[in-house]
Amino acid sequence: MIFRELALAIWVSLKTSGLAALIASAIAVPAALFLAGRDFRGKRLVLLINQTWMAAPTVVIGLLFYSLLSRSGPFGGLGLLYTQAAMTVGQVFLILPLIVGFSYTALRQVDKRARLTALALGATPRQAGWVVLREAKYALLIAVLAGFARAISEVGIAMMLGGNIRNATRNITTSIALETAKGEFRNGIVLGAVLLVITLGINLLVQTGLRGKDKD
Amino acid sequence: MNEFVYKLDDMGYAYRGPVSSFSLELESLRVGPGEILALVGPNGAGKTTLLMLLAFLARPGRGRLEFLGGDPWANEASVVRARRDAVLVTHHPYLFKGTVADNLSFGLRLRNIPEAEWPARLRSALALVELEGWEKKSVLGLSAGQAQRVALARALALRPRVLLLDEPTANIDAGLGLRMEAVLREVSRESGTTVVFSTHNFSQASRLADDILYLSDGRRVEFSHENCFSGTAATDGRRSWIEPRPGVRIFFPGETRGHVTCVINPADIRLFAAGEAAEPSPGRNVFGGRVTRMETTDAATALVRASGSLTFRIALPVAELEAKGISLSRDVLLRFEPESVKIVGPRTPGNPRD
Repeated sequence: MIFRELALAIWVSLKTSGLAALIASAIAVPAALFLAGRDFRGKRLVLLINQTWMAAPTVVIGLLFYSLLSRSGPFGGLGLLYTQAAMTVGQVFLILPLIVGFSYTALRQVDKRARLTALALGATPRQAGWVVLREAKYALLIAVLAGFARAISEVGIAMMLGGNIRNATRNITTSIALETAKGEFRNGIVLGAVLLVITLGINLLVQTGLRGKDKD
Repeated sequence: MNEFVYKLDDMGYAYRGPVSSFSLELESLRVGPGEILALVGPNGAGKTTLLMLLAFLARPGRGRLEFLGGDPWANEASVVRARRDAVLVTHHPYLFKGTVADNLSFGLRLRNIPEAEWPARLRSALALVELEGWEKKSVLGLSAGQAQRVALARALALRPRVLLLDEPTANIDAGLGLRMEAVLREVSRESGTTVVFSTHNFSQASRLADDILYLSDGRRVEFSHENCFSGTAATDGRRSWIEPRPGVRIFFPGETRGHVTCVINPADIRLFAAGEAAEPSPGRNVFGGRVTRMETTDAATALVRASGSLTFRIALPVAELEAKGISLSRDVLLRFEPESVKIVGPRTPGNPRD
């Protein structure tokens, strides 16, 4: 596997999974804030569905979106199948329940007085919501990073919706699958190590950045 | 200028939780600008609930609550505006993660106070609570008393029209507590800030407040909770009594049954040195005890705590105290008429909130 191909696979992984983590977080964190701050009928059912969804195998999600995005499917006209966009959409649905679940737990652990104090000091309900998010920022960051790690390490969705097309939708995990299928175990292990180093680097970068910001 | 900061009429608030329920009913309450009002009552009396209502963090179920001549609950903007004018410091205050300065500047940022003003405001607020130079300290590791002072400074830095304080000196040692009282008086006098605070401490209320609102079981009562007793009433048809302790009866007129709470005005209790005639007779409320505390609320009035089978607080003129030779640790007799016993209503079953 030549260097350019490897670099492109890494870029595809970072781009699709990074985007999926951002989109999923933008939906999941407000959803978790809503769930954590309110008691309503059916809330336990929503949480149960979310927990079940967390365990969904990647190939099942891949298959579901494959049937939706394939030419004969309801969204076939969009022409998304075997594109990076399709991979991102699939990964969003994969990691959404994970980020909701982790964020919900993180927000439930924020002292209830935080919101009340913000309101008492004159915050609007929206500003008070931000305060709660800020108080849980480390735990929320872990939730987002866990989602990103899940997305970048999955292979089922990338394979089924991306199609492992060379220089287009081939990412690190589909490359590992391909190299292993070819009997090139050494390449597969090297790519696996690259994946771990990337994840480690991102974790370090974000946590160092946050620590530095806290010192200000 | 509005005549009243708060004007409450026939206001009711009910809380129904999974394990307990509680209701607060106030026929009328007026709080004027610059006034210091103390809320006094036992646990579960409704002091915190009333402070939450006055801070617009809870909405009355019925009746009218006017703030600065308007309806604070008219819309979302008016509630936020009212909350910015009436700032509550809770009993166990929450400090946001970060430094003391982060906490003090939180409300300033919300109010769009120019950042150039922040350092001076922070300095003066921290000086008032005797925490000068603490701006850069992390809030992690602060003691309960220090956290309470930071929370008080956080409110003072905002210079609100109304300061609502839930047991402001509960976690602070006595000496500092007295200095904090002086700060509240100063803030009220110099800035015209209205202060409403809750306390269990009747003498603190007497020292600090222009007016005292006594609460018991979510209702205004006439007197302090200091002489507040509960029990199951029994009656012989002519008079009734409760036994707060086995064999110890408090008599009151009329026919009453069921669980009741009663209060006795500290000023209605007469105090005698032991041996002095106290005219004991059946149906009279006469108790023996020993003076366990003495203090003066002002130059002329003394507050005496006498503990025996029951503990009573008695308010009497200092001159009378001296004339009767009553001093600390002295055995005393105390007496009050059955008519002085006020029944403040049946006690709410369950576990009412403070």
